[in-house]
Amino acid sequence: MKIGFIGLGIMGRPMALNLIKGGHAVTVWARRAESMQPLLDAGAKGVASPADAARGNELVISMVADAPDVAEVMRGVASAGQSGLVAVDMSTIAPAAARKIGEDLAAAGVDFIDAPVSGGEVGAIAGTLSIMAGGSEAAFAKAKPAFECMGKNIVHVGASGAGQVTKAANQIVTGMGVLAVAEAFAFAAKNGVDRSKVREALLGGFAYSKILENHGQRMLDRNFKPGFKSWMHEKDLNIVMQTAHELGLCLPGSAATAQMFNAMVGSGMGEEDSIAVLKLLERLSGQE
Amino acid sequence: MNTGFIGLGAMGRPMARHLHRAGHELAVWARRPESIGDLPARVCATPAELGRCCEVVFTVVTSSADVEAVALGKDGLIEGMAPGSVLVDCSTIAPDAARHIAARLAGKDIHFLDAPVSGGEQGAIDATLAIMAGGEAAVLDRVRPLLDCLGQRIVHIGPNGAGQVAKACNQMIMVAAIEAAAEAMRLAAGAGVDCAKVRQALAGGSAASRVLDVMGERMVRRDFSAGIEARLHHKDFGLVLEAARQSGVPVALTAVVAQQLNALMAQGWGRDDTSSLLRVLELV
Repeated sequence: MKIGFIGLGIMGRPMALNLIKGGHAVTVWARRAESMQPLLDAGAKGVASPADAARGNELVISMVADAPDVAEVMRGVASAGQSGLVAVDMSTIAPAAARKIGEDLAAAGVDFIDAPVSGGEVGAIAGTLSIMAGGSEAAFAKAKPAFECMGKNIVHVGASGAGQVTKAANQIVTGMGVLAVAEAFAFAAKNGVDRSKVREALLGGFAYSKILENHGQRMLDRNFKPGFKSWMHEKDLNIVMQTAHELGLCLPGSAATAQMFNAMVGSGMGEEDSIAVLKLLERLSGQE
Repeated sequence: MNTGFIGLGAMGRPMARHLHRAGHELAVWARRPESIGDLPARVCATPAELGRCCEVVFTVVTSSADVEAVALGKDGLIEGMAPGSVLVDCSTIAPDAARHIAARLAGKDIHFLDAPVSGGEQGAIDATLAIMAGGEAAVLDRVRPLLDCLGQRIVHIGPNGAGQVAKACNQMIMVAAIEAAAEAMRLAAGAGVDCAKVRQALAGGSAASRVLDVMGERMVRRDFSAGIEARLHHKDFGLVLEAARQSGVPVALTAVVAQQLNALMAQGWGRDDTSSLLRVLELV
């Protein structure tokens, strides 16, 4: 398939490389020209604008930072006038923003899918991302071969926006999950109990989770290198809280968690992994 | 002084009337002309037209977008107000929005004060509002005689946006106090104790507050008709949390209270009084 790819950061670069490995003809555009070089070396064609990344292609994919960036590149995509095009955004943005972008593209005759991912840089490199998609059945079917090069667990969740709703739900579970493990460890330590033994015991029971296993181990190792930066988790939880505000939805646990991540960003820990919330708890309880 | 007024709701109407009573020429513009009623004022067709005939213009509307539309939009105040004239915005909006509007108006040498108020409809009627102003001190001094017609405590907080920050702080404390009063009333009832007696006893001690007085009374009487429409507090909490986020300041209690307000909205009580937070507690 002929695919345009927009946004070649930590996630976008390996995802585009996996499309090339999968035998697709990939055209790339990135705001910073130098970030295109690794893709050109791998056989991609570089172009000068988002519109050029859409022109002549069946599929165009964006992986950028935030809703205004997605809206901007998709305006360019719409202006290309490429008939039969399917546009896919794999960034994490607000569901309402995704629906709006979908409507704008539909007006230009372009089908849109919101397909945010979970699995981080490791999953992007390995091609094992979880992909949660929202949009029409026909558009999803068209994009599916591309998704299969980038991810493993690929679910068509529902209509436009449903992918972003699912990603927001994912961030609720992972955000509170990280905080839950950190609090359990703070609790054990304050009681004079070995945290690594607690983790080991919990892994065999109902409290088992990937977060306890992987993030828990990194907490024990005090390895706070990202991974997933806490400012990004804060951004994602802000999407959750703003959506809850608009809908009239009571989410007390998410609200408390969002404030912990807000505190991390405010105290200069934004570039550290979100598991560094453990350090914040330790500071509050005099466990440093 | 030639004064203009935009936003003749529960707050704006009595405020406009005070200005007129004090002998100031009054011009008004309203999105819905019927809201002008019997107010003795010159009625203008657009905010721009109102701006052309006024030295000082007041706005009391709902959201940041409303103030931006009236001030900067098509036929907005910016198209009519003369250099040196003053726009005083008494709405509760985002500090950022206030700074943005101030900067745009400054491009045409029009002065701007963010001057949100506290005290509710009763405070507006009694002219006892607390007014927290952001902007240049000299500009505030120029309009102070007008503000004296509206309120008792007029404090210059700092530059543009500072008034809105103060109002955000006000809302945090006030709505958290309403939630605390509601939880206390709920605990009293849950423990089989007379809420009215509890409120009466507390009013004489360290927990006494205006919120416990006014809102507690409403809770005891189970009179949830607005006073202050809860949807406005819900809106304000969106502003507060966004400001906290931008400053990287954790506000744990505010965030939880915001969720209770979300539940209140979900029940369809947004046009009732914020003392309805008691009813949210009774849901579970």
